[in-house]
Amino acid sequence: MRVTRTLAGLGTALLLAGIAACGGSSNGGGDATNGAGKTINVLIGVNNIYPDQQRKWFTDVSDAFKKDTGATVHFDTFASANDELTKIQTSVLSGQGPDIYALGTTFTPTAYATKAFVELTADDWNAIGGRDRFVPATLGISGPDKSHEVGIPFASRPFVMAYNKDMLAAAGIDKPADSWDGLLEQAKKLTGGGKYGLAIGYADSFDPWKFIWAMSVQAGNPLVKDKKAALSDPSTVKAYQTYLGWLATDKVVDPASVGWKNAQAVAAFGQGKAAFLPMVSASSKVTLDKSSVAGKYDYVTMPTIPPGMTSLGPGGVAATSILSGDNLVVAKYTKNKALVLRLIKYLTSAEQQDSYYKTFGELPTNAEEAKKLQSDPALSAIVESASKSVGTPFNGAWSQIQLALVDVVVQSIPSISKGQLNEAALNGLVQKAQSTAQSALDKAK
Amino acid sequence: MTGTEVVRRSEQTDRRAPDKPSRRSITQRQRPLWMLAPGGVLVLVVIVIPLLLALWISLLDLDQYSIREWIHAPFLGVKNYVEAVTDSDLLHSVWLSVFYAVLVTVVTTPIGIVAALATQQAFRGRGLIRSVFLIPYVLPAFVVGTIWRIILQPDGVANRTLGHVGIHPGLWLNGPKSFWTLVLIQIWASWPLIYLLALSGLQAVDPQVHEAAALDGADWWSKLWHIIGPYLRGPVALAMVIAFLHNVNNFTLPFVLFGVPAPDDVEVLPVLTYVESFQNFRFGLSAAMAVCSLVLVAIPIIVYLRAVRLDTADDPDTRRREA
Repeated sequence: MRVTRTLAGLGTALLLAGIAACGGSSNGGGDATNGAGKTINVLIGVNNIYPDQQRKWFTDVSDAFKKDTGATVHFDTFASANDELTKIQTSVLSGQGPDIYALGTTFTPTAYATKAFVELTADDWNAIGGRDRFVPATLGISGPDKSHEVGIPFASRPFVMAYNKDMLAAAGIDKPADSWDGLLEQAKKLTGGGKYGLAIGYADSFDPWKFIWAMSVQAGNPLVKDKKAALSDPSTVKAYQTYLGWLATDKVVDPASVGWKNAQAVAAFGQGKAAFLPMVSASSKVTLDKSSVAGKYDYVTMPTIPPGMTSLGPGGVAATSILSGDNLVVAKYTKNKALVLRLIKYLTSAEQQDSYYKTFGELPTNAEEAKKLQSDPALSAIVESASKSVGTPFNGAWSQIQLALVDVVVQSIPSISKGQLNEAALNGLVQKAQSTAQSALDKAK
Repeated sequence: MTGTEVVRRSEQTDRRAPDKPSRRSITQRQRPLWMLAPGGVLVLVVIVIPLLLALWISLLDLDQYSIREWIHAPFLGVKNYVEAVTDSDLLHSVWLSVFYAVLVTVVTTPIGIVAALATQQAFRGRGLIRSVFLIPYVLPAFVVGTIWRIILQPDGVANRTLGHVGIHPGLWLNGPKSFWTLVLIQIWASWPLIYLLALSGLQAVDPQVHEAAALDGADWWSKLWHIIGPYLRGPVALAMVIAFLHNVNNFTLPFVLFGVPAPDDVEVLPVLTYVESFQNFRFGLSAAMAVCSLVLVAIPIIVYLRAVRLDTADDPDTRRREA
């Protein structure tokens, strides 16, 4: 019986926690330069775009670190966000597992809330080469404030918008609009003949909240402030109306996109069926360069003027993207903290960040290395978006708020697929999300 | 002699054979029960202790803030249960899960029995057909969910094919139709379980009984109802209980088909429990929901055990009373 097994599984994990607690492991320091016979375990997301290169990178890092310290680095991968969550929870509960985790930036607040990861002291930062070695913006989601940081920026994946240069030129549009309303007008012009202005993954588990968050922040509503949720604020309702309206009433999106994940939106753009593809990172380049739009597309930052406005809202921030990428966090239970910090110093060095960027296309967080890329015109939009990215609220309840934001879109899909955007129904869903978010914030510690 | 008489005589013969209480009593006294100890320890460590811990968790305010030192998580008593019932989607999910599980079980039962009857008599290609029948059942739920998710996309094969004949069904994976999508796919994937157990029941029918019925001139319906029916009753009842439990606890199929957050129409109990635990980090609340699920699935098990008296079947006293 699944329920029994679920209960039993949960209990077994707790049992392990008890056994681990009896073991009384200590967070030993140790000599960073003598790691002979020791193994550092790293958990990192699997790279489905470059699987072979990722395996080689694992070997290269391990070999280099062994040469340097004598210690072996063992990499383990997680396949999805759910897989990542399960592994983190099991390790946190049992007090054993990877020494280093590469976490998505938006999960860092939740990780911080568990108190299972090392809060970096000045000495710790010095051990990894200093806080100054990182691009300042990338430190925006390392902790609630400078003195309570757990996340060490490792890779930057800002979101941008791809656009089809040929389609825009044919419609007489010289460049993508810098406002969401302007983008909609352009999308309307570009819709017709089986092609659509926008490619959107409405069924994606993450994309929808990023749109709603960006439009809200630009209008001056950060969604969470002083432990108060503001999901039912008119700016957020307007964001939902805009995002859902693209399909329901404006008809600038393929009706089939109510079933699309992000990858299917990328595929539609790659087939030349859409003019704009917002909310993609540089990793989409690999797919698009092999598609029919290779050489015909470019990236640009997403609009920063919120819907219904001609400039930023009062208190609004011109956020081009969430602060996206990976942070490295160190488990408190590690017995080789000095070696772990040495490995992180190596991974965030200019040389390694250069190699990582060249292999996987992910932007460096190392300031020295990032500076070199600023002059590359092919990367201008992505580098610009990296510098204008804004961190999502640093609160342990953020994962729940994300889910509540996406739930509004999920439950709206039946009506928008019929071309309806019922205001009362939308308000009801938004109120429910607000209540869920506030109740999660009330429990936040 | 009618078919019913044949069965009664057969049952009487069966009952006489094992009815030797004195020998069984001696054997019982000498049973080396200590040999069960390793299995008992395993059950204790793998099931009983974790189950008790999970029951304990359901009484705690265990979340992302207290998980690392779970033993110190605030004790809430039954507050998680109260919240689950009054301030969550639990009751809606229970209703969905039970309705869905009953529907699937009721529909798959006749399909499974008919398929078993159809492949009972030997014919050319029977082995192949029996193998084909098992394909939906041996496919992992993840694969079934992924394949159907692709087929049922708004611009997928199903809608395109139906569109050619003028039918435009709209959304399968969200909205009110999503519930029926889940029911239909689960029927497709799970009927072979009933088929398998019904087939085992059919194979237990003594050929002599068939011969006796034929000699008595019993017609097709009489044979099915009065002779084969009683043999099938046990295995099919068991299959229905197992099918119901599988359905009510089915997590993988709705999770893969609809993702999370799930559309309201398919937010079945296992998905709700998962979301509370692994998305919202409300481990205490989720454990309370899981305990509620456990109560839910225990009901048909108890009813079944009472009905077939599996729990007392080896009790010599009971056997004596039955004889």
